[in-house]
Amino acid sequence: MKLKKLTALGTAAVMLACMAGCGTAAEEESGFSVAMITDTAGINDQSFNQSAWEGLQEFSKASGVEVNYLESKQSADYVTNLERLGDSDADFIWSVGFDTADALVEVAANNPDLRYAIVDNSYEDTPDNVTGVVFKAEEPSFLVGYIAGKTTTTDHVGFVGGIENAVIRQFMYGYEAGVSYAAKEMGKEIQIDVQYAESFSDAAKGKAIASKMFSEGCDIVYQAAGGSGTGVIEAAKEAGKYAIGVDRDQAYLAPENVLTSALKKVGKAMSIVSEKVMNGEDFGGQTLSFGMAEECVGIPEENPNMDPAVYEDAMKIAELIKNGEITAPATEEEYTAFLESLK
Amino acid sequence: MLNSVTLLIAITLMYSTPMVFAGLGNLISEKTGVINIGVEGMMTIGAFAGAAVCYFSGNAWLGFLCAGLAGGMLAVLHAAASIVFQCDQTVSGIAVNLIGPGAALFICSLLFEGATSTQPVSDKIPKIFGDISAEGILGNLNMDVTVVIAFLMAAGMWLLFYKTKWGLHLQAVGEHPAAADTLGIKVNRLRFGCVIASGVLAGFGGASVTLGIVSQFTPITIAGQGFISIAAVIFGKWTPHGAYGACLLFGFAQALTVLLGGGESVIPSQILAMLPYILTIVMLVLFVGRGVAPKASGKPYEKGSRT
Amino acid sequence: MNKIADALKKPVIRILAAILLGLMAAGVILAIAGYPPAASIAALGKGIFSKPKYISNVIIKSTPLIFTGLAVAFAFKTGLFNIGAEGQFIIGCLASTLVGVTVKLPAVLQIPLILITGMAAGAAYGGIIGLLKAKFGIHEVISGIMLNWIALYLSNYVCMLPAFRKGDTNGTDQVSEAGRTLILGAWKKTGEGAAVLKKIPVFGEILLKTDANIGFVIAVLTAVVLAILLKNTIKGFELQAVGYNKYAAEAVGINIRKNILEVMLIAGAVAGLGAALYITGNSPHKVTVLSAFEGMGTNGLGVALIAGSSPIGCIFSGLLFGGLLYGGQALQYEVGAPTEIINITIGTIVFFVAIIQGVPKLLEKYGGRRKGHAE
Repeated sequence: MKLKKLTALGTAAVMLACMAGCGTAAEEESGFSVAMITDTAGINDQSFNQSAWEGLQEFSKASGVEVNYLESKQSADYVTNLERLGDSDADFIWSVGFDTADALVEVAANNPDLRYAIVDNSYEDTPDNVTGVVFKAEEPSFLVGYIAGKTTTTDHVGFVGGIENAVIRQFMYGYEAGVSYAAKEMGKEIQIDVQYAESFSDAAKGKAIASKMFSEGCDIVYQAAGGSGTGVIEAAKEAGKYAIGVDRDQAYLAPENVLTSALKKVGKAMSIVSEKVMNGEDFGGQTLSFGMAEECVGIPEENPNMDPAVYEDAMKIAELIKNGEITAPATEEEYTAFLESLK
Repeated sequence: MLNSVTLLIAITLMYSTPMVFAGLGNLISEKTGVINIGVEGMMTIGAFAGAAVCYFSGNAWLGFLCAGLAGGMLAVLHAAASIVFQCDQTVSGIAVNLIGPGAALFICSLLFEGATSTQPVSDKIPKIFGDISAEGILGNLNMDVTVVIAFLMAAGMWLLFYKTKWGLHLQAVGEHPAAADTLGIKVNRLRFGCVIASGVLAGFGGASVTLGIVSQFTPITIAGQGFISIAAVIFGKWTPHGAYGACLLFGFAQALTVLLGGGESVIPSQILAMLPYILTIVMLVLFVGRGVAPKASGKPYEKGSRT
Repeated sequence: MNKIADALKKPVIRILAAILLGLMAAGVILAIAGYPPAASIAALGKGIFSKPKYISNVIIKSTPLIFTGLAVAFAFKTGLFNIGAEGQFIIGCLASTLVGVTVKLPAVLQIPLILITGMAAGAAYGGIIGLLKAKFGIHEVISGIMLNWIALYLSNYVCMLPAFRKGDTNGTDQVSEAGRTLILGAWKKTGEGAAVLKKIPVFGEILLKTDANIGFVIAVLTAVVLAILLKNTIKGFELQAVGYNKYAAEAVGINIRKNILEVMLIAGAVAGLGAALYITGNSPHKVTVLSAFEGMGTNGLGVALIAGSSPIGCIFSGLLFGGLLYGGQALQYEVGAPTEIINITIGTIVFFVAIIQGVPKLLEKYGGRRKGHAE
């Protein structure tokens, strides 16, 4: 009898504590606030989710705006997380990753008064309260491909992808085009090996594939493979060859073996858009594209392992891309057409 | 040709080493009758501890040892639950698999300013042939020293089980603890020690990934190797040499996947990725068949009971 | 002492005590890390209970976990460790989606078709494990783990085949509207539907803002069916006998091999049913390329074990898991604590559930001794 009472008391105590939490929702009008949800890769994926959050944090520091995030563990979390953010006092909600596209459409339709944006996705029919933000990842990839082509001494380079999808294909075709362009410039043939790790989280697989490429004669391997890609960089470190990083400056992983990185400044683009929305602009129903011209993709300024002459040449190519004289391909058709134009 | 063969060997050994450590860990626990499916969690905390200690101290071997320590400490939880509290060993194994990675990521975020990955270490586990060039045959075969350590551990365990008195005691405890008890063997104490040993070994396995294969700990560094090592132990019919062989087989299949892949391959990449797992099942059907776990596996021992 | 021992023998008390201890441990860890423990637990509670739609989301999140928990628990009753539940769930999702996308029937036929497809696919996949064990003696843990990975890559391969892939995306099309099991799914999307629902206080919000679907009801029904099967039928008795003592069962004439196969078929079917309901009931209603396991089966293991392999218990432990997983995100959002604390909390609860099982025995052992001496 006593124990039953105790249990009842205990359960009641726990419930009271929870209810107490419910009561403290005094909404403070604290001004503009921005929030984001990650896709299932998580906030610490050392790739675009992390870049997105870092960008938002910088934006917060610079403008005093409150920022927060919700991490999604499964694809079914996208809707629930977006809804939860909608309940909080966030004024502008970011949905990071093309995986979240369908969930966002549903939530945006349910909450027509809230404003959303999505990273890495362009809809055929963008809802009125959603802004699509895409990146021309083929542009920095073209640049690093060009650099690889100019730097290789064995005329043999490689590319390791995570899992094949539209975004990774941007990286791949852009890179291949850059290598081909450099090859044409120097009047020689450069072989490009391509292999997929079928995972964004198997570093050992990435390392094994890169080791194979290095032992077959490649001296530079570019990776767009997330967690598997760190294995590629590791292989370069151990083989004494070069790797090219992606999304963020990955030189810190192997200071002597990372030639350069193809930067996709997700955070910067998000800051730009968030600031404009905060100042009253409305991009609902549109897709914004960020490339070199907008300074949201590129390569790091400091590349200790790169030949300064190659860097100079690369900057000239960057200008050509910015003013439209070179259009980096992002799909198979565009790449085939690009190769034709080189002939 | 020779290049491909040496590459195959190197990748096989690279992939299998962490699993060998974890498998031996799982084995030593199971041999004494304590089911330990928590090796995945112990590997993860070991992986983190190894990377973190190495980063702060600059010494890879110190990191390696601390990884074993961390795994052993986590194993104390499992040992206490299974032996002292005599609970369901599968349940506490699952608990360890949840607590291990959780604790690793949590402590990591405390030590590394909110990040759930450690900073890369500059001092890694040394290679067998030292700092030679990576070209050529010798270059291909220049693997981490942990590969050799794993082999020695497996050989050592074989000697332990089959050539020493201790080994006989261990096996007796796993097969018929009551009989072992009457012979004066301290059943529960031996089991407790072996479970801790299994945690230490699993911790080494985790460190062999974060200090050897890559040079940092991230949330996805240990993703399934622990469970595959459990499968390897069952495949190897609960023997050290069997477990070692099974891990090698698995690593070999992964190496094949890497070598057969690439632009020229006709087989779709995802199908190729299935290869290790399909191969394991095929080998089981063709060659291995029934395996028998130690008889007292999973049953807590109570002094005075008949079995 | 003995009173506590007696109390702890009751499973409900044990689990409540474990939850309490688990939350306390979480509080301690949070305090050590510098987060306010009371506010954190309050945030957790707020994230689960403070709005009707949160409670609804917890129920929705628990539904697939209850199914995979049942798939594991049922197999446990016969002594089989169905670690392959994850793979069975993935295959169930794949099959259900493929049928839901390619076949276009009215809802009355479409939904049962999809559900049956999911069950059949899951059953077949679970049956492989059963067959390998019955015929070749291969341990279900190995085949389960291997088949999990095979299922992952197979799903990735199939959903990207030109026949099923949606344009340039990473996955299949969404299951047709007719195939979805949301409650009033199509109606609530229309203008008038939404307007009407906005006026209804609690249920309106739940229906509008969450993926409220029939999955939970079916989960409860499935649990009841399995419980009855185990307790009240001859088949159930046979299956459990094999679990208790294989040799005795064989001596009585029960065909062990057939039973193993049947159990895995049923367990797989349950996981597959859960998968079908997950696809038809939850956004995004499609299969995409997975980089890693989503964890339905792995969490199902925990669900089954906390429930002591009891089918009805799985309903509650599924809800517990769902609540913690869903509320955990609020914890991170409100307090800034890393999401890993939820994994530690769940792990600690599971750990205490395991330990507390053994406490009555310990208490009796030490309490009893004193009693004996006194006499």
